[in-house]
Amino acid sequence: MSPRIWNVKGLTKAAAVVALLMASGAAASAQQAYRFGLAMPLTGSQALYGQDQVKAAQWAVDEINKAGGVNGKKLEMIVLDTQADPQIGIQAVNRLISVEKVPAFITAWSGVVKAVAPIANDNKVVELSVGANSPDIAALGDYVYTTFPLADIDIRAVANYAATKMGKKKAAIVFINADTGTAAAEVYKKVFTAAGGQVVAYEAYDPKATDFTGQLLKVRAANPDMIHLQGLVSDTPQVIAQMRQLGLTQPVSSYSAAYNPKLVQQLGAAAEGVIATSLAPGAADSEKVKDYVARWVKEVGREPNGLPYTEYLYDAPYMIADIFKALDNKKLPPTGENFRKEMLAQGAFKLPLTGNTKLGADHTVVKPVYLMEVKGGKWTKKAVVGE
Amino acid sequence: MLNATILLQILWTSLATSSYYVLFAVAFALVLKVTRIFNFAQAAIMTVAFYSAFVTVQWLEWPAWAAFVVMMAITLAASFALERIGFEALRKRGVSVMFVFVFTFMVSEFVAYLAMLAFGTWPQTIFPTIFWPVTLVGNIAISAWDLPAIGATIVMLALLFSFMRFTRMGQFMVGVADNPDLAELYGVNKRQIFLVTVLMAGALVAVGMFLYGTRAQVLPQTGLSLMLFAIAATIIGGIGNLAGAAIAAVILGVIQNSSILVIPSEWQGLLLYVFLFLAIVFFPNGLRMPRRRRRFATATRDIGDNQDVSAAEGQV
Repeated sequence: MSPRIWNVKGLTKAAAVVALLMASGAAASAQQAYRFGLAMPLTGSQALYGQDQVKAAQWAVDEINKAGGVNGKKLEMIVLDTQADPQIGIQAVNRLISVEKVPAFITAWSGVVKAVAPIANDNKVVELSVGANSPDIAALGDYVYTTFPLADIDIRAVANYAATKMGKKKAAIVFINADTGTAAAEVYKKVFTAAGGQVVAYEAYDPKATDFTGQLLKVRAANPDMIHLQGLVSDTPQVIAQMRQLGLTQPVSSYSAAYNPKLVQQLGAAAEGVIATSLAPGAADSEKVKDYVARWVKEVGREPNGLPYTEYLYDAPYMIADIFKALDNKKLPPTGENFRKEMLAQGAFKLPLTGNTKLGADHTVVKPVYLMEVKGGKWTKKAVVGE
Repeated sequence: MLNATILLQILWTSLATSSYYVLFAVAFALVLKVTRIFNFAQAAIMTVAFYSAFVTVQWLEWPAWAAFVVMMAITLAASFALERIGFEALRKRGVSVMFVFVFTFMVSEFVAYLAMLAFGTWPQTIFPTIFWPVTLVGNIAISAWDLPAIGATIVMLALLFSFMRFTRMGQFMVGVADNPDLAELYGVNKRQIFLVTVLMAGALVAVGMFLYGTRAQVLPQTGLSLMLFAIAATIIGGIGNLAGAAIAAVILGVIQNSSILVIPSEWQGLLLYVFLFLAIVFFPNGLRMPRRRRRFATATRDIGDNQDVSAAEGQV
């Protein structure tokens, strides 16, 4: 982990060391370095995801620099903490723009991505959302782009798959009453209905809740043949456990938050048949991903939390380096405006882990969706949609 | 869609899940009653309790009963430290109620932060699995967690109430709660009573957290968010009234869960705040049962009582 991460975590000792490092390092390298920002949750309830994603991005930056950087100039990443909280995200991005003066920054978590969008637009600095999937991210303004497929893609895929390939007619949607939940539930409902299905129950639950009996009983009474759950990592296992306890044996679909090995461990047999989406190839699909996961196991002693997200974070610096390289070739100053122009001019990028990435003019991105299912106590690939 | 099965199922599950809420509320109410401390540091004790059980089961791989014993021992030790190092020192310096509250709040935030450093922010549970098998009684699903949880809660409450009613020490506690200085004049060791009170609250919290952590995932900040419920139940139940706090916790839980049958599910989370608001504005002394005969004789003490109470409520 870079010393800068410790700096934002508020450890005064580390901060003092970092201040010294920055003072001595900045003077020497400021002219030759291409810099971009990374604003992720390093503390707070989402930090275990956030920290792994930052680590992935840091690996990529280190490798890019080892391979010569951007035409021999160093690629530098400035990491700040958002706690996945819009308010703190705004502070972080303000600092990235006005103090660090980066032309582009990466951030994630829908609430933060939306909250900082006006700042990016006003200052003409490119905001790359890498990991947030709320559909409204496509409409946040000229300077906000995503490299991560929006909920439109994975929720659409899973809804369509249930209605057409699995032949389900009646779906129930259970979702967390927060940004990610409500927007995605809406999309699922629209797509499933358009594909000829019917949504028979539509139930929200409070982010603080630990008991979901009421909602699930309403679902049970509606007698669906498919249940879609749109929750967060912390509540998803508990909701599924209660579903099974209350005798809801229907197949359960969810999205990338459910796709992690711990879910299977926590639920045992109750996890069977749970379908999740993954927006990046797994270790079985690609040699590079296999090596990448092996590196995690070797260096950290475990697989990353939320593997697909970390793959996208690993890829993002490569895309940024590509754009900087083009600007450097054309001898254009790395401003936010030039960065955006060059990014759109290139349009398509070939990235190491998640493969081809095409930025749409409508601020979305085109990527295949992998459907994963728990079978025999393990996540297995069920289908690939839109390859 | 409203039928008997659904109603009974909601009633049963909310009754079962209210078990830990009851323990947290009674622990909070007990400390407030006897020591007059608005003990937000209970969140810290909860965090200590959970992670000591978590470490014993998941890292040391000891059996459940050993985890429970270790958890209880560490929780009591933490409670002991809180009273002897924290509260007693503050008491000796004669600091204000507000200052003690700020201290307890700081302790809970500090412990949450330490837990975050030590255990990360991935949600954890005591046992690797949180799935409890169910038995159908009629059409009501009763999970293997429900009965032991309710049983443990009843046992803890029975122990507490018989201790307070039938033992000398328990009566001293009531005496100190009524008027610490007067109790001291009668030869009651105030210092000892305060310690016993905080330890008993620690034991209640430990059992509550064991129940919670075997059913739902816990984050370092979970203790803090659970406190709101305990405080609401204590205020609604009537400050100084332990049975009231317990009953309020059950009723709040049941109302919150069954509310979904009549209001849109998005509004469910708001209910607790509505109750808290109503309680503070309209029933600052709780929904009290008419007092027993002692009332007349204790009228003067009530005045002093209420001053403390309103001071404490201002900080919710």
